[in-house]
Amino acid sequence: MEQLTNLIISDRELAIIMTALNKLMHDTSATSVMLIDKSGQVIATQGSGARRNVTSLGALLAGAFSSSRHIAELLGEKDFRTIFQQGVNENIYTTLVEEQWLLVIVFDKLTHIGLVKILSKKSSDELGRILERVRADTTRRKSSVLNVEFRSSVEDTIDLLFRD
Amino acid sequence: MALINIATHEIHCKIVYYGIGYCGKTTNLQYVFRSINPNVRGEMLSIATETERTLFFDFLPLDLGSVHGFRTRFHLYTVPGQILYERTRLAVLNGADGIVFVVDSQSEKFEENIQSITELELNLHRIGKDLANFPLVMQWNKRDMPSALPVHVLERYLNRRRVPSFEAVASSGKGVFATLRAISKCVMAQL
Repeated sequence: MEQLTNLIISDRELAIIMTALNKLMHDTSATSVMLIDKSGQVIATQGSGARRNVTSLGALLAGAFSSSRHIAELLGEKDFRTIFQQGVNENIYTTLVEEQWLLVIVFDKLTHIGLVKILSKKSSDELGRILERVRADTTRRKSSVLNVEFRSSVEDTIDLLFRD
Repeated sequence: MALINIATHEIHCKIVYYGIGYCGKTTNLQYVFRSINPNVRGEMLSIATETERTLFFDFLPLDLGSVHGFRTRFHLYTVPGQILYERTRLAVLNGADGIVFVVDSQSEKFEENIQSITELELNLHRIGKDLANFPLVMQWNKRDMPSALPVHVLERYLNRRRVPSFEAVASSGKGVFATLRAISKCVMAQL
């Protein structure tokens, strides 16, 4: 499937995403919940656990997920749609949303993995519907954000900052 | 795939440094990390083997700050260059908005460079992209080596699409920022 050139998320969609993540976090008693793009970019986070190094976490989790899908291929599996990483105190459950996003739930030993699996499936379906809307709207709204003034300013900033 | 978050006023773009083993991809990122204003860069992550070869990827986030009300960020990645890590290169390429193809200019590496750019083209095709209209910049690295091939030879065989190209000695920083500026502008122009 061809990848999109860009994905534009509006205020309204982000509000729905944040509500969905917040609900999932409370229902599972997770320490944090994140939505990341499979390219590694963080779309939204809820909770305190993931705030530190959130950018690095996004890159690493997306990398680990992508790597696991290639492992699936080598094993002749269609794909692995989820990853569970278990620590002494913290666990991470990652699940794919419509081949584009990753829903990440960070939780401790007081939460049962079964509950996380069931509730994340429900949230993932809801987020999938939002993603459909985002995909449909992306080309339409691009021009309003990336206007000539923005492009010119960003070029000047690149020249100013990316130098010895 | 660039992410434009209107609600939080953020734009994120992903740039991948691609090329053969020991061509200087990690060296490019290390130089940027050392030389750029510390307020612009985040922490650099390297997933490397004990011998410091890149195993998975290097990652360096750069933050341009607010531009016309939008916080603009570039995430720089490298792929592992060793031949056996092809699957990993494909994984890192996922969602890339632009590519810097780093070439080891030494004559003995010529064939390997050709194989690598052919592989890049194939890998982009696998993720539904066409190198012909994808933001791409070439970097002719290791220009200080005695066996470095003339630039016109590299241009002829490795840059058939005539994309922007830069001579570099990444270990001393020569050409590193010129390359980064060019790919960043190509990526923004494509959005």
